[in-house]
Amino acid sequence: MRDPAALFGSRPFGRALSRPGAGRIPVTVVTGFLGAGKTTLIRAALAHPSGARTAVIVNEFGEAGIDDVLLRTSSEQVALIGNGCICCAAKTDLHRALRNLAAERETGLVPPFDRVVVETSGVSEPGPLIQSFATDRTVATHYALEGLVTVVDAVLAARTREMAPTFTEQVVLADRILLSKTDIAAPGVVADLRLHLAALNPEAPILDAAEMRADPTALFSGRALKRAPFHCDAPTAPADSLYDTFSLEFDAPFDWPVFTRIMDTLTGLRGDDLLRVKGFVQVSGCPGPVVVHYVQHLSAPPEELTAWPEGTPRTRLVFITRGLGRARIAAVFAAVLALAGLAP
Amino acid sequence: MLTTQDRPAEGQGSTRNFKLIAQHEMGGFGGMGEGMSIQIAKDGRRILWLAHESAPKNFTGLDVTDPKNPKIVVQTDLPVAHMRSNSLEVSGDIMAVAYQTQKQGMQPAGMELFDISVPENPRSISFMDASGPTSRGVHQLWFCDGEYVHMAAGAPDFAARNPKDDQFYRIIDVKNPSKPTEVGRWWLPGTREGDTDAPPVRHEAGKDFGFRAHNTNVYPQRPDRCYLGYLDAGMIIMDISDKTAPKPICRWDNSPPYWGFTHTVLPLFDRDLLVVTDESVLDGGADWPKLIWILDARDEAHPVPISTCPTPSRDVYAGRGGRVGAHNLHENVPLPTSWFSDQVILGTFFNGGLRAFDISNPYQPVEIGHFVPPAPRLSPVGAVQINDVFVDERGIVYTVDRHTGGVYILEMDF
Repeated sequence: MRDPAALFGSRPFGRALSRPGAGRIPVTVVTGFLGAGKTTLIRAALAHPSGARTAVIVNEFGEAGIDDVLLRTSSEQVALIGNGCICCAAKTDLHRALRNLAAERETGLVPPFDRVVVETSGVSEPGPLIQSFATDRTVATHYALEGLVTVVDAVLAARTREMAPTFTEQVVLADRILLSKTDIAAPGVVADLRLHLAALNPEAPILDAAEMRADPTALFSGRALKRAPFHCDAPTAPADSLYDTFSLEFDAPFDWPVFTRIMDTLTGLRGDDLLRVKGFVQVSGCPGPVVVHYVQHLSAPPEELTAWPEGTPRTRLVFITRGLGRARIAAVFAAVLALAGLAP
Repeated sequence: MLTTQDRPAEGQGSTRNFKLIAQHEMGGFGGMGEGMSIQIAKDGRRILWLAHESAPKNFTGLDVTDPKNPKIVVQTDLPVAHMRSNSLEVSGDIMAVAYQTQKQGMQPAGMELFDISVPENPRSISFMDASGPTSRGVHQLWFCDGEYVHMAAGAPDFAARNPKDDQFYRIIDVKNPSKPTEVGRWWLPGTREGDTDAPPVRHEAGKDFGFRAHNTNVYPQRPDRCYLGYLDAGMIIMDISDKTAPKPICRWDNSPPYWGFTHTVLPLFDRDLLVVTDESVLDGGADWPKLIWILDARDEAHPVPISTCPTPSRDVYAGRGGRVGAHNLHENVPLPTSWFSDQVILGTFFNGGLRAFDISNPYQPVEIGHFVPPAPRLSPVGAVQINDVFVDERGIVYTVDRHTGGVYILEMDF
């Protein structure tokens, strides 16, 4: 009699996927400061044909619920979560909202939506929010974080970043950055801002919100962008010494247990400063890449893809850290690989 | 505090993670059965052979070489209106077609073999009679190795005690296709006149659909096994190491309390799992829930149900018209033209459409996609009735409507 593990098959990562998050409902989290234009962008996206079948979860910050009133007229469905800031006490509300949406979708209480957009309150720190996709089994079963989109007000950005460290974190962690109000900002200001944002987060494409309103697919899906999801230009010197973004690449495939040991070491010792790690890992025995995504101490379940999307298979990891620096992370990899006898 | 608002009524169509690339209404004869098989013709064309659900059409060959532009190659007629060719299978250039009549005792009822080496001109090789006083002929057949047809059929010499129990498991040697010959058979003890066993205890009135065979799947991984759906008797694994004397190894029966009509048994050999479906046969969700079951088959003599796949909501679908509930699966047909997966299950649910499930965790199947087209034109029930599905080795999905919609050709995105 075979062990019950046989029932799960011999694939270490379960079903191989055609793309990251395939089969689950994509969730786009839209963050950005109060007044940055999140609601305007979401409204425009919902009005576009490609925005059909979208469920919207709005974080109702404060007493007025103005954002909800605006969105309710244009979306197919709005779930309101209360209790203020989405990133702390209301995190369980977001879990509950996502779980309920999935359940109601199955039972027909809500139409069969294809995606979810979460509009955060302006002061949210996005880290804990994206962690929730790794910490809640039900949420992780039904949903996949498609991307964190940060809306930046081109007029007020300079003042905002002086006032609030949260602004910097929203930019650093973003998968895509949307610049709003570029039409009323001075051209020089916009150009400077673009440079500043690119230095803070060299990973994220920076899009003009006006362009996005004409074709809002960029809000919903990174797949619509020309850049590959984990493409990175040459590392740029960080403009803000608090954060750094860099990538590590490896030509030899990893044994999965060795890779997890390395990441366990990093998250165990410096998880607080490991804001986000994402990338494709070439794992021995797997024909496709294994997609990994860490947020501080937590990891989303790794996913194996059916094939490498482009180019030669090689591990490529993007790190967004609070001051850890490339050299120290690379040293941990080298040390563990050497101990495991796998150093190149 | 969670509230949801503004839920505008939506039409019946709903698609997630499938992409419709073509629909073909089969020239106005779009009522399709549960026979779907692909032939690669000698000239390289890819022909999808489809059985029609009812007269007047027999079968259609559809050129799906370019799945965006399917073209009818041939469409044939049945000789009489009281028969149907619900099932077919292709092995090489030979196609086996099942013929069933509306009532016991009618003719022609049986199996016909065709030479389809020239797809435009299917040529009859032989006809095997399966009619009889209590027979309606052949409902379903399985033909993948070019040598044996495994089928759910009546026979001239088989007198069923109850007319609902007329079709049983028959193994037909077709190595000489001009002379199909029965080599073995098995029926549920007690269903044949003269049996020493007591008749099976019938399901209660309104739920008594019959103790007869349906799908008869045999795979090269276990050529000594037949995975047999037996309607109200549940599912049965047969030892066919001696084809002249098939023997049951186990029987798993979920009904009552469920509604019987166990239809398909799909073994996933590398994972010791069985995927079992019950067919919905009543309109309006009257026999809800009809389910896809996942069984732990590590001990093939004692299969244990461990989960079911999420089923379309009765509240949403029951009122749309026609049936809602499980029916056919993509069965990993052991031919080079068939897609294989033991991680993703595709099943048809009549007005609940086509649904795909990730069963990588067999204890917790998750729906990862669905295709529910709007009611096809001229649909007599006001809703689609997705009846069967086949996926070719390219990953192109073909799924059919039972009444008018013909075939829908899809790509998977999951």
